[in-house]
Amino acid sequence: MKKHAKNGNVAIIGIGQTSFSSHKEDQNQVEMVQEAVINALADAGLKIGDIDCIVHGNMELFEMQFAPDLWHSLGTGAYGKDEYRITTGGTTGATLVCAADNLVASGLYGTVLAIGMEKLQEGNTTGGITNMADPLWFRNLQTGALTGTTSDGACAMIFTSEEKVKQGTKNPPVWIRDHIQVHREETIPNLFGFNKPEMTHHCAARTLFARNGIQDPVAYFDVFEMYDPSAWWAVDWLREFFLLKGDEHLRMLEAGDFDLDGRIPINPSGGVIASNPIGATAMLRPAEAALQIRGDAGGHQIKKEVRHALASGFGGTFWTVLMILEKELNWQEVNHD
Amino acid sequence: MTEYFGTTVADIFATMPKRFKPEEAKEVDIAIGYEATGEGGGKWKATIKHGTLKVETVDGDLTGCKTTIHTDAETFVGVTLGKIGALDALSSQKLRVAGDPKFLMLLLPKIFTPYAAPEKKPVSVTARDIITTIAERFRPEKAEGVAMTIGYDLTGEGGGRWTIVIRDGKCAVRGGLADPLTVKMTMEAKTYAGMMLGTIEAVTAFTSGQVKIEGDMAAAGATAKFFRKYVVPGATEAEELISLRVTNAIEQRFATGPVMGHWFAGLREKKFLANRCPKCGRTQIPPREICAWCRVRVHEFVEVGPKGVVTHFDIVYFASPDPLTGAVRDTPYATAYVVFDGSTEREAVTMDLKKEDIPRLKEGARVRPVWAEVTTGSSRDLIGVALDEQEESL
Repeated sequence: MKKHAKNGNVAIIGIGQTSFSSHKEDQNQVEMVQEAVINALADAGLKIGDIDCIVHGNMELFEMQFAPDLWHSLGTGAYGKDEYRITTGGTTGATLVCAADNLVASGLYGTVLAIGMEKLQEGNTTGGITNMADPLWFRNLQTGALTGTTSDGACAMIFTSEEKVKQGTKNPPVWIRDHIQVHREETIPNLFGFNKPEMTHHCAARTLFARNGIQDPVAYFDVFEMYDPSAWWAVDWLREFFLLKGDEHLRMLEAGDFDLDGRIPINPSGGVIASNPIGATAMLRPAEAALQIRGDAGGHQIKKEVRHALASGFGGTFWTVLMILEKELNWQEVNHD
Repeated sequence: MTEYFGTTVADIFATMPKRFKPEEAKEVDIAIGYEATGEGGGKWKATIKHGTLKVETVDGDLTGCKTTIHTDAETFVGVTLGKIGALDALSSQKLRVAGDPKFLMLLLPKIFTPYAAPEKKPVSVTARDIITTIAERFRPEKAEGVAMTIGYDLTGEGGGRWTIVIRDGKCAVRGGLADPLTVKMTMEAKTYAGMMLGTIEAVTAFTSGQVKIEGDMAAAGATAKFFRKYVVPGATEAEELISLRVTNAIEQRFATGPVMGHWFAGLREKKFLANRCPKCGRTQIPPREICAWCRVRVHEFVEVGPKGVVTHFDIVYFASPDPLTGAVRDTPYATAYVVFDGSTEREAVTMDLKKEDIPRLKEGARVRPVWAEVTTGSSRDLIGVALDEQEESL
């Protein structure tokens, strides 16, 4: 396996969320974004002047507002700063983290704030989803209904370089060891032929674990925040993500291995079936995994110490983002050969 | 009988015996006279004596009544239903009581259960009802200088074929389809009725393929303004509640490119044209320019099917509304994953299954395609699949 080394190490040093609700009528979009940003800055002990760049993300098709980052700039604090806008469907939130990770690792910026938001009660989600379909193939047939939960809410995270971490942080840093984004171009019907191709989830996990020297993911990770849009998908996907064989995942489920006090607790946050503000959803997975590492998850903090966490994002027909978060900056010793 | 507030004076008296509470009227001995003037009115006498009630119509003068009530028919119904306040009616002199009004107001609610207007069944309007009134609704001032013949072929219940002739500021409806026609519109009768009653939007019905237009498209679009809106007979006017609804129906155009173009050209010929990866050999549906699994270009097209095998299926009992039309499809409906004959094993395609075949659907079932009557090279050419009877009977 080819060595996959980053240009520089990147840490999560601030996490902020709003409350999540099916109808957040008490705030407009800008106010909702601002609440998450203020919470993240407070968590990091920083001021907006300490942020070098903002990465904004949501599914603008859903709210039907072009360039929403411009509208939200008073809430994000992007005024006068470098800013990027990201829209990658269900994976948007995870892509924001990947982008922030890359922006800091590259050395282009010292400290980056990423904000993911969605207000699904505004605009027209169904219309947006219909327009996501391939106009040549599926659009005539697409029902366009969001099959998961629909929520309003925002999440913000602050990322910084190893150099800045060394100058001191308010809360313990959580390191992004590696991330991968994959799509194997399976159509959903491809999974329902006479046999299945390798699923994107499996491909992402296999590649990511191999290049980080992780042989036994169930033993290595202490918690997994998984993007599971519908409860019935979760079990099947656990087999793919943990590279399990046959009905191993079902036996683990029966043995309580995925319980909050089990071998590898899944979604102590409640997961996507608890709240699904699309542009924030896939960011909440690493955000919640990082809170578990810090021990700051409050009422849903799992009992055992969390040193290694896995987080995933999902969108459309199996777009997958998978990332490894670490408590200690000590994995460079792994032999990649 | 003239109706007020959806009911009649006569019905109020006719239901009196049913609403009478004898046990509450044991001590009562009174004759009450009623005079309701105007259309739908008349005179009635209610005699209540020791738990008995007698209601009769009176032709001449109201005699032998301790108390008489005089009002117009509308006020009488309104007060009875509580739509008009009794005190308001009294103070405005619309309702007059000879005798003790206070005594009556206390007595009547005690010995009668309240009257409720009978629920009306919704009027069922057919396309035939609507189209046959079209000449009455014609607006000659909007059709000056217009000469056209419009044919309607309305299928299903309440349907039929009609020709509307507009010429010299006059309009006539005739049975059957004339030849030639300026424009012919074919649709289900219920779609036409829905469009006329405002429950289906004309533009949506057309863009979603529910309305087929042959001939002069512009003429079809212009017809609405020549006629006043159809109003259901006897319908009471609804209160004016303003709601703004904006539907942006946007024409969109997409080039297929040569690869998908080949697929659609195949559909027009009722053929499934997949393309085969030179490396792994899989037959891609829809065809794509590369095989993303092998990362190589794909050039060779192969015809697969037309029959195939059901590998998996879903039967849906709860349908969410179609975002394009708002229509909710009939349930249950089935979606089958089909691998066409000659396709490689992972290249399943999602297909709607003919509704009648759902009870006999099983994994491994053989299916055949169901094509649209006219294939034009679009996704609509293929309606879905049906169980293949020929092979079923083997």
